[in-house]
Amino acid sequence: MIISIIYLIISFLLDNFMSNVFSSTFGYVSYFSTIYIIISFVVIYPYFSNDKKYFILIIIFGILFDVLYTSTFLINLVLFFVIALFIKFLNNFLPNNIFMANVLSFSCIIVYHVLTFLILNIASGSIYGFVLLGDILTHSLIMTVLYTSVSYFIIKLIYNKFNIKVIK
Amino acid sequence: MFGQKKKGIPKKYVLLIVIVLIIVLFVIFSVSLKKERELNKVESFFKDTLIYVEKIVVYPFDYVKNKISDYNELKNVKKDNDILETSMDRILSIETENIELRRQLEALKDELNIDYSLTDYEYLNASVISRNVGYWYNKITIDKGSYNGVEKDMVVITSKGLIGRVINTTTFTSDVKLITTSDTNNKISVHISNGDTNLYGLINGYNYNDNVLELEGISNTKDVNIGDKVYTSGLGGIFPSGILIGTVSEITTDSYDLAKVIKVKPSADFSDINYVSILKRKSDNK
Repeated sequence: MIISIIYLIISFLLDNFMSNVFSSTFGYVSYFSTIYIIISFVVIYPYFSNDKKYFILIIIFGILFDVLYTSTFLINLVLFFVIALFIKFLNNFLPNNIFMANVLSFSCIIVYHVLTFLILNIASGSIYGFVLLGDILTHSLIMTVLYTSVSYFIIKLIYNKFNIKVIK
Repeated sequence: MFGQKKKGIPKKYVLLIVIVLIIVLFVIFSVSLKKERELNKVESFFKDTLIYVEKIVVYPFDYVKNKISDYNELKNVKKDNDILETSMDRILSIETENIELRRQLEALKDELNIDYSLTDYEYLNASVISRNVGYWYNKITIDKGSYNGVEKDMVVITSKGLIGRVINTTTFTSDVKLITTSDTNNKISVHISNGDTNLYGLINGYNYNDNVLELEGISNTKDVNIGDKVYTSGLGGIFPSGILIGTVSEITTDSYDLAKVIKVKPSADFSDINYVSILKRKSDNK
């Protein structure tokens, strides 16, 4: 559990840190941008046999993301919860290997951006075009694959080293 | 009890509950997004703590980055020095002219009872510590907060021009909403400087494809040229007048052929905002 929490904290801090390294303002989204915390949700899920603990972590990081990064209320908490359900659902069908982890990570990034796009267009009165959505999604691909692959190997290595199969 | 089946919630009610929940959530989202929610003290404390943790983590990387940047600047120092030497004489004459203009401005302000202008603002410099995490909210976080006298709706600029306004503050940080957004609450009243005449219009949104701001409200009969400078007009109460926004890059007309639709290329480079200045009214400190 502690390994997963440390990994989540590192991913959470990376979201802020990398935003300074690779630009991500409208119209200038870098090809090396993604949402690291969502990728970490995908990577750690297979190690949780207890869904309750997993969802508690999701809720905590959803609140932190809302408060510390976006200054919004409940939006990221709800989105992360939906993504966690999505991960849980797809993990029933998909095998746990690096390729599927990448597929799932990018699917979750798509779900996050599409839902945010819908929420902002409906609830905020702003107009965000499909071009912007497509731009953000395509620019997320490289870093998503890179971070998923690297963290998949590292987390697997650490869990194997400590001989941990699942978190109860 | 015997023979009774354990009953869950019927499916039709589950669907109803989900629909009601979605509607309630959308109402909450709508209120929180439109009101630009301010953080409470606990949230502010957590945000300030995180920022300081990040500052410590980022410090070595920033140090290396700055050293590389310093080295690159040093390579151009000879060329820059030559340019500066040739402009020294001009600066002296501009300075003399400036003193005279300032005197005239003060006299005119007294005559017209104008309380403030752009020159009545002092600049508070800040560094960008977070850039648009989550992508969609189009805001940056800077390392100056209410402790430094930053308040909501203060204007934020770079050396090249306007970038946005403060939307909320914690003790040591502030969030700045960038002007490159489609947010309907983010309209800016501007004027185009065209020779001796000033044309007034409204920045109405941002075009992500061309990376230009869209300016509307100027009659088709008025004369606007590509390359004209666009400044804030001071109307609307938030942005003081005279801050450079950008230059006119394209001019078309609306579907009724009545008004111009002008594309404005922002003067500030939004892909590389590292240091900013917050405009504080001098009178605020009194």
